[in-house]
Amino acid sequence: MSARMIMKLHVSDVYDEAPDVRVLTLRHPIRRELPESTPGAHVDLRLPNGKIRQYSLIGDPTDRTQYRIAVKREDDGRGGSRWVHESLKVGSEAHVSAPRNNFGLSSEAQKHVLVAGGIGVTPFLAMVQELSAADQHYTLHYSSRQPVPPFSDFLKDLCGDSVSIYTTHDPQAPRFDAETAFKTVEDGTHIYCCGPASLIDAVKRATAHWPPEQVHFEVFEPVIDENFTPEPFDIRIASTDAVLHVPADRSALDVLREEGFVLPSSCELGVCGTCKCTYSDGTVIHRDQVLSTAERQDQMMLCVSRARVRVTLDL
Amino acid sequence: MPENSTKKQVPVYAEPSYQTEWQGGRLEHIHIAPEASYEMEELQEANCVAGKGIEGDRYYKGVGTYSPKPDVRDITLIEAEALEHLVLNQPPMQDEPIVLKPVDHRRNLTVRGVPLNHLVGKYFTVGEVIFKGGRLNFPCRYLEEILGLPVYLPLYNRSGLNCSIIRGGTIRPGDAINPLDPSIVKTL
Repeated sequence: MSARMIMKLHVSDVYDEAPDVRVLTLRHPIRRELPESTPGAHVDLRLPNGKIRQYSLIGDPTDRTQYRIAVKREDDGRGGSRWVHESLKVGSEAHVSAPRNNFGLSSEAQKHVLVAGGIGVTPFLAMVQELSAADQHYTLHYSSRQPVPPFSDFLKDLCGDSVSIYTTHDPQAPRFDAETAFKTVEDGTHIYCCGPASLIDAVKRATAHWPPEQVHFEVFEPVIDENFTPEPFDIRIASTDAVLHVPADRSALDVLREEGFVLPSSCELGVCGTCKCTYSDGTVIHRDQVLSTAERQDQMMLCVSRARVRVTLDL
Repeated sequence: MPENSTKKQVPVYAEPSYQTEWQGGRLEHIHIAPEASYEMEELQEANCVAGKGIEGDRYYKGVGTYSPKPDVRDITLIEAEALEHLVLNQPPMQDEPIVLKPVDHRRNLTVRGVPLNHLVGKYFTVGEVIFKGGRLNFPCRYLEEILGLPVYLPLYNRSGLNCSIIRGGTIRPGDAINPLDPSIVKTL
């Protein structure tokens, strides 16, 4: 995955879509056009401590003059969203990368089924603008705990009958049922899901019999697997035959950098795809959320994935 | 082999020659980036610090993409003419012309009328500042990735020059760039 330019953008507008969801509009102080984005793309936002958070672009993808992101305040989170809510105001400077898309619309699909949960609706806000403009066949299923789900007016106006909104705070209200929705595999239908782990898991289970290339997930949180115990392993460098030891408490990325390899990375959580590396000769324990099954045959994410005993990296 | 053919001859080009005739170059643009991957920012005035770089630049701070690699990289230069050739699609190595703007090429100085490829190991002045040509800059895939432009091949052999700053000072766009006799440097 390629390196991306980081820009110092200006916050040109701020409003609260919901009490805990803030929408920021970002513009370049000099350039008239921002780097191009496609529906489903996200940007990295740099926090003052150098950490990175990723936010989907929610605006009209054809409007190159501005980016829009929606940030849900998570007081129990890692602090990024709290900083956005407390510190970014109109006129503030935000350090934002050029967009990357790990969750693009398939050009081969005849029908798109979009499944959103909570703030996971954000990538779909851009998608439905493109799908509506292109008069494509799609359905958006949006579940939210909020009595008035964020962006529901916008979605109803734009999507009409193509959107179904499920308000899960009401025990009597209908719920989205992934098992029923995806019971029958349909040629030409692509499924896209973004939301909390419970929704992702439900859609993964319900689509287990679908061809994997027709089902797409966007995950902004790392895999939480309490049962995983990291083991030490060795890395062989293909170009030099050197062998590096990765202790159980360190990542391959850390060890390689210590040895002088200049390697790009971004989230270091296995969700952004920046530190992808080609490997051979080894059994990799894939712990990322970005590589497809096909890509996993010869690529791994150095930040979170590990290997059994030894792996050879194409470095 | 006959005796005389093994006799070591001094190759004509073994010693740096200072005979390249040029003068009257000009500094067009100054750009720095605060950190690796950050967009370049244009300056109307820059403070060059001997042995370090431009104040505020990622290589001055040692946080550039290539900072861990040992080499002279105080300041990097590229020829405005090379950028213009890309617009003309010369050499014709890509499908269409490439517009590589001074703000995008990630070298610090865009210069005109300065034969950078001739200045390896040589001294020259930019305004009051003295530079020494280090190694020729090599195009990198990183630049292609960050720009999304296929500039790697077209920049081959004219990707600019990495220089060390011998005597620091302030530079501004419009400053004259001229060769400097190395004997003068020794007296400084």
